[in-house]
Amino acid sequence: MNIRKRVAVIGAGITLYRRRLKESGKELSFYAANMALESAGMSRNEIDSVVMGTAPDAFDGIHMKSENLLDGAGATQKPYTHVYVGGGTGVFAPIGGWWHIASGMHDTCLVVCEEKMSPCFPHPQTAFRSIWDPIISRPLNPNLVWIFALEMHRYMKVHGIPKEHIAQVAVKNKGNALDHPSAQLAAKITVDDVLNSEIMVYPVNRLDISPPSDGAAALILASEDVARKYTDAPVWLDGVGWSLDSAYWTNRDLYFPQYVAKAAKMAYKMAKINDPPQEVSFAEPYDPFTYKELHHMEGLLLAEKGQAPKLTVEGVTARDGDLPICPSGGLLGVGNPIAAAGLMKCCEAFWQLRDEAGKRQVPKAETGVCQAWGDLMQVGTVCVFKRDS
Amino acid sequence: MSFDKIRDPRKIRHQIGDMECDYIYTAGVAGERFYIALRDEEKLLATRCEKCNITFMPPRLYCDNCFTELASFMEVPSKGVIESYTITYFDRDGQALPEPEILAFVKIDKTDGGLIHRIGEIKPESLKIGSKVTAVFEAKKERKGALTDIKYFKPA
Ligand SMILES: [Zn+2]
Repeated sequence: MNIRKRVAVIGAGITLYRRRLKESGKELSFYAANMALESAGMSRNEIDSVVMGTAPDAFDGIHMKSENLLDGAGATQKPYTHVYVGGGTGVFAPIGGWWHIASGMHDTCLVVCEEKMSPCFPHPQTAFRSIWDPIISRPLNPNLVWIFALEMHRYMKVHGIPKEHIAQVAVKNKGNALDHPSAQLAAKITVDDVLNSEIMVYPVNRLDISPPSDGAAALILASEDVARKYTDAPVWLDGVGWSLDSAYWTNRDLYFPQYVAKAAKMAYKMAKINDPPQEVSFAEPYDPFTYKELHHMEGLLLAEKGQAPKLTVEGVTARDGDLPICPSGGLLGVGNPIAAAGLMKCCEAFWQLRDEAGKRQVPKAETGVCQAWGDLMQVGTVCVFKRDS
Repeated sequence: MSFDKIRDPRKIRHQIGDMECDYIYTAGVAGERFYIALRDEEKLLATRCEKCNITFMPPRLYCDNCFTELASFMEVPSKGVIESYTITYFDRDGQALPEPEILAFVKIDKTDGGLIHRIGEIKPESLKIGSKVTAVFEAKKERKGALTDIKYFKPA
């Protein structure tokens, strides 16, 4: 591998995450990008290129919405790229930024992710109606929740996991989100609250699911030599990995996300991590559903197969545990403006590794892993961030 | 290997579908101000970046050059100059329009931007690029806080 430049993160920004925001998508992008620039002490003319990540255009209802968002993302008359791998986009966008810097092509890159799901009626779920294969799957009128319920049920069955253990993820993440200033669904709840909430699609209860949201987030990447001019505390994006499986999700065992494991191995190898559970100090796996956090911890090789629920129940994954998971509050607590939700996780890694996470700060944060997932249970995107030493 | 001789796609194995989302688009913070002033006061509002000497029409919440937030809105004249125009004779489905429609890019006075809009009260043969035009508003009770609250621009 010929990586020309080590890549640093030197700024981060985020808007409020809410069910419906008054700001347009461009305006949300502006607030996130501008906050990231201010945190880095940079102006727009110091940015060489811009990468935008968004999930389906069908949420905002603007075809080629990245072009619509361009000026808000600070990209007017700059090299501008839109990247997209469905729900995995939020952690893929910084990988797109990484290409620009690691290749030596640019010194600085502003990465912005935006999603405005509120314009879509009758519900943003409707936008997912047309992601399925029109011949094989659509005649059954699928929706995302029952598709993922099949995956969840398979995962529970293979390892004999009780629903109570999975529900603990909602309790933890919504609780963690109480300390996140952008959070949409922060709450102090109990396992019983989750189990007693409506069954949407067995075995998924209402409190197992993250909400639709409006929001944007941004990161600023820079090459090592340039990063040092702006900050004494760069955070290193030392490993990137991504892997996609086919859309034939019925041709694999759903209990384990092989494609996430492939993406994680790629990123760990690049970041020279040999023993992930020992070397990773905290992680932000993708948690649009409670079981996904556990499924992804195992995909990220942070827990043995089937062991993530046990670690959660034992408190290992709490913010003050040995391996804090989703200290931000995750999608379940902070909200799920799809692409922006993934990038929110990378913003969290930046703040944690600079000791800027406030009440969310985890002790001894040295290495953080962020991961997103999506499409027809087929995309894994992974970034490994390290504290400067 | 090919079905290209089959004119009716229903003659081959198929599934009927659609992409059935509906949308209620958010005007945004700047759009809200712009359209309420249009509806309630027959006014065009712009934002201005003093640093870059740019007056944005339609108004934006930020200057996309220096990337500062633009907090103050100012009234600008609801008139301008035709920068370019076209005359359309057919609709999107290829049907002849009862009357040709004139569409123009109108640069709004005292701004660095403009609006695409219809031109009325003029014969196509009298149109000129560079002509001055002024906005004709819908009757107050008809206005909805949308771009169509301006019916068209007419020769000034
Ligand atoms: Zn300016």
